[in-house]
Amino acid sequence: MFILMKKVSCIFIVDDDPITVFGIKKMLRTVTHCDDVQIFQNGHEAYEAIKERQEKGENIPDVIFLDINMPIMDGWGFLDELIDLNIDEHVVINMITSSIDPADHKKWNSFKDRCPHILNFKNKPIFKIEPEDLGCINVAS
Amino acid sequence: MKAVERVDQFYLLKQLPKATALLCKKGIVQDASCSWLEIFSQSLQDKNHQTKIFPLYPEFLDLEKKLMEHTPFSIKHKIKSSKGTRHLKSYFAPWFDEKENVIGTIVQTDDITSEVEKEQQIDWLNNILETKVEVSKTGWWEYEIEEEKLTWCKETKRIHQVPECFEPTVIEALNFYKPGYSRNKASMLFHKIALSHQPYDAKLMIVTLHGEERWVRITGKPIIENGKTVKVFGTIKDIHDQVTAETTVKEHQQLLSTLVDSLPLNVYVKDLESRKVLVNKGECKFLNKKPEQVIGKTDFDLYSEETAKIFREEDLQVMKHLTPIIGKETASTVHGKTIYFLTSKIPYFDLEGKVCGLIGMSLDITNIKKKEEQLRNLINITSMQNQKLISFAHIVSHNLRSHSANFSMLLGFLNSEKDAEERKRILKMLSQASDNLLETLENLNQVVDINTKTSETKTPLNLKNNVLKVLENLSALLEENKSQVINNISENIEVNCVPAYLDSIILNLVSNAIKYKSPNREPLITINAVKSNEGIILSISDNGLGINLDKYGDKIFGMYKTFHNRKDAKGFGLYLVRNQIEAMGGSITVQSEVDKGTTFNVYFNEES
Repeated sequence: MFILMKKVSCIFIVDDDPITVFGIKKMLRTVTHCDDVQIFQNGHEAYEAIKERQEKGENIPDVIFLDINMPIMDGWGFLDELIDLNIDEHVVINMITSSIDPADHKKWNSFKDRCPHILNFKNKPIFKIEPEDLGCINVAS
Repeated sequence: MKAVERVDQFYLLKQLPKATALLCKKGIVQDASCSWLEIFSQSLQDKNHQTKIFPLYPEFLDLEKKLMEHTPFSIKHKIKSSKGTRHLKSYFAPWFDEKENVIGTIVQTDDITSEVEKEQQIDWLNNILETKVEVSKTGWWEYEIEEEKLTWCKETKRIHQVPECFEPTVIEALNFYKPGYSRNKASMLFHKIALSHQPYDAKLMIVTLHGEERWVRITGKPIIENGKTVKVFGTIKDIHDQVTAETTVKEHQQLLSTLVDSLPLNVYVKDLESRKVLVNKGECKFLNKKPEQVIGKTDFDLYSEETAKIFREEDLQVMKHLTPIIGKETASTVHGKTIYFLTSKIPYFDLEGKVCGLIGMSLDITNIKKKEEQLRNLINITSMQNQKLISFAHIVSHNLRSHSANFSMLLGFLNSEKDAEERKRILKMLSQASDNLLETLENLNQVVDINTKTSETKTPLNLKNNVLKVLENLSALLEENKSQVINNISENIEVNCVPAYLDSIILNLVSNAIKYKSPNREPLITINAVKSNEGIILSISDNGLGINLDKYGDKIFGMYKTFHNRKDAKGFGLYLVRNQIEAMGGSITVQSEVDKGTTFNVYFNEES
């Protein structure tokens, strides 16, 4: 198997649960080295950060780990705002949720269609972060 | 000759009023009364011209021989003349002399024409009677009291199915009546007629000789002489078929009217003009009128103009196009009440197959309609509760899943982690996850409690006192935040509540008002209570942060929904409050403006 590694320069983790954040960070360490990993408690904080980076012309995150249920602004709200920002780069967004509500899966499907970014849906628990989750393409198999 | 010598004596004979003639032994008329000669158109002859008797009776050839026997006899004969036929009867008796020697024959002739004619007439009448009896099947009987003799005619015997030779006694005759009412009645009537001359006419049942039970009509009439019944004459007629037919018709009518009357339906028959010609009990009861007040009336007399018009149109449709209306739901207003009916109208045909009206049947389904309404409401409530249950199930599964997912993940790390320091950190996380799970379970338990113990007794509580109690418990928090509370609740307002729920509602709303205070203002909390048509409304207003309801409106009462960055915000308080007030049959609404404040309105349900 041959994997094309894309350089991951910036990762956002948007989740209000410290344990999940801890887990993601720990798992990330085993697959990639990234100096710029940012943690946000809710969608609003993350959105503000991206907007600021866009305005300043700084790096837009390559990968976002996004929780659905969060205070103030949930994952869906964040996605709505993100689409409105009209970012040129294709961000890999991994929606991570413990929800097994079919309504959430449906919503993800509808977002996937109108979102210019790559939208993955991952049910908790997660034990490993796959290269695909970081936007790496599996060329040979 | 002696006889000739005594002609004077014979002259006597001439004058006898009864037609008489004397014959000698040879059958020659010796002398005769004028009347006798007149009958036979003879004149008294001289000695040379003898009148022989035999040619006068041409039909009786053996008359001569008969005369020789010297015994009296009589014969009937007739003489035809231009005047008609005379019926006669002649008596012949031997004529003795003093010494008892037969010297000839004495003949006396009676004109019996009128008797014979009467007899003929009687025969004819009898014939007529016989024919009448045969045709009308009416027999007669008579009873002669003196002789105790009962006579039955042929037809009477036929009715009793006895042979023609049967001659009944009174007892036998009465025993033909069916034991019980018929026999008693027959005996009584028969007895009475002799005593009090009372004629009778009765319908009774007999048991014929062959054991058949048949209805008969008997009449009896006394024949009275000198104030005493000497004879009873009566008739008997077999009316069995007629009575059975009548009974069958009556039974059918009885069955039909019982059926129609006892149907739990309003039944009516209308003529072509939509006038009611028949109504059953149900219809009368519904209209609260007697049958005679309804018969002949149209719907215009009984219902409002508008309703009656609809009914008349339906009637016309049925009668004109002969298409029945089956099970149509109609609503009519009587005495201001709306009543729902399931109505059927079918065309009514006369014996010639021509439509002559309609038969209507209406089933009052008002109660069923009401039940249906109740059921629909119940279904709404049930589906609402079901919805709540589903959403609760999702909450439960989601919240429990998130913790178990964390456990799985952390345990996965722990399995492969070698570094002692890192393992310690993971273990710390695990215990934190465990604490979180416990807290979640506790919260969920609280919600389940509220929703399962809805039967918990509501008691009337003084609203002001309860608010004051909660404010006292919160006094430290209020003081710390320099909060001002304006309590406008009047003294006498009572609400029907589960005490613990009321405390929880007030506590959560007041503490939320402080928790989400504006950093720029000191908290001001206003508490009001008003009585409205729907019940008592408690409103708690603050001047705090407020919330964008356009954005979060539907989520504010959701579980684990928080909207401000506060560490102590769990997103559980309002969820609990909503569950508590809804469990008591009330509701809660919110009004808010960002950076102005928030008002929660709690609607209490006063039904206990």
